[in-house]
Amino acid sequence: MSISFCGMFLLRTKPAWPTEMRRRHFLRWSGGLAAALAISPRLAIAGSTIEISMSGRPDGSKVWFDPYGLMIQSGQTVRWTNRDKGNSHTATTYDPRINDRPRRIPKGATPFNSDYLLPDESFEVTLVVPGVYDFYCIPHEMSGMVGRIIVAGPDDTGLMEYDDGDLPPEALDGMPSVANILAHGPLRHQEG
Amino acid sequence: MTRLFTAVTTIAALSAMAAFAEGPTDEVATNPPKAPYQKVSDLVALPEFLPGIGELFVDPATLPAGPFVAYDHDGRLVSTIYMIPISQMNADTSFDDLLAPGGTVDHVDIYFNAGHPGVEEPHEHIVLWHVPAADEASVAN
Repeated sequence: MSISFCGMFLLRTKPAWPTEMRRRHFLRWSGGLAAALAISPRLAIAGSTIEISMSGRPDGSKVWFDPYGLMIQSGQTVRWTNRDKGNSHTATTYDPRINDRPRRIPKGATPFNSDYLLPDESFEVTLVVPGVYDFYCIPHEMSGMVGRIIVAGPDDTGLMEYDDGDLPPEALDGMPSVANILAHGPLRHQEG
Repeated sequence: MTRLFTAVTTIAALSAMAAFAEGPTDEVATNPPKAPYQKVSDLVALPEFLPGIGELFVDPATLPAGPFVAYDHDGRLVSTIYMIPISQMNADTSFDDLLAPGGTVDHVDIYFNAGHPGVEEPHEHIVLWHVPAADEASVAN
């Protein structure tokens, strides 16, 4: 399989609301190096769009991404949807360009930030640059609402852990390891 | 233990204060409450009606503790809520003379919240219900 497209597409929608109330944030650019996938990782999720739910207990006592750790193939789209009726969430990459946070996306990748998603709102991003993308929910980072996406490349380069000292302990506690994602595939939230 | 003591002390103080009240102050008696209260969903990115809480208002100057006041779908004042960050439940922090505008308290709930826009850190919700427990259903959804 070979992919000659390199770029990113961000889309934020509010599908259940009237058209005039929809909010779309669109960012697109071209350039960069084309990624050629020589392998199809067996643990990568299939399908063109991968769903990640933003959820929480009804009383707000616990919040999470589900799945919170997964591997995809370069060029697949990830969609976050807020399924939490009583809260708002973000999907935000760790990067100095967003809230001056440490970089936890591959070199050459562009950071993304969904901004606050109200219930049933969604945000999409297509990830092309292989490597490890760590993201968090802005209002819930201190409650460990973080996640990790591995974008598979032609080899294992770039699939290393980030420095453990750069995030709050609550975020580090919630972050799955690369090894765990590679060993078990999508990591689903277990409530209880 | 310190947190528990703080919470219990807070409840006792708030309940005792509310026990002498007969009804809500004019400021909060009807939805919307009077200034300086503002609708929380106008201040931060949150749904206008929060399941389990209702339509929420606060004087921004009192954040994070509040009081917040919550109304059901019929505009009835159902609760007064205080939001106390876990990080501030310690020996060096106290919350004194918090307003209690909602009047008579029927019962109190205390539960953990992971955070939300406006109070973006783990905290405790201390909820003074002004309606019977059975009427909490009026803000369930």
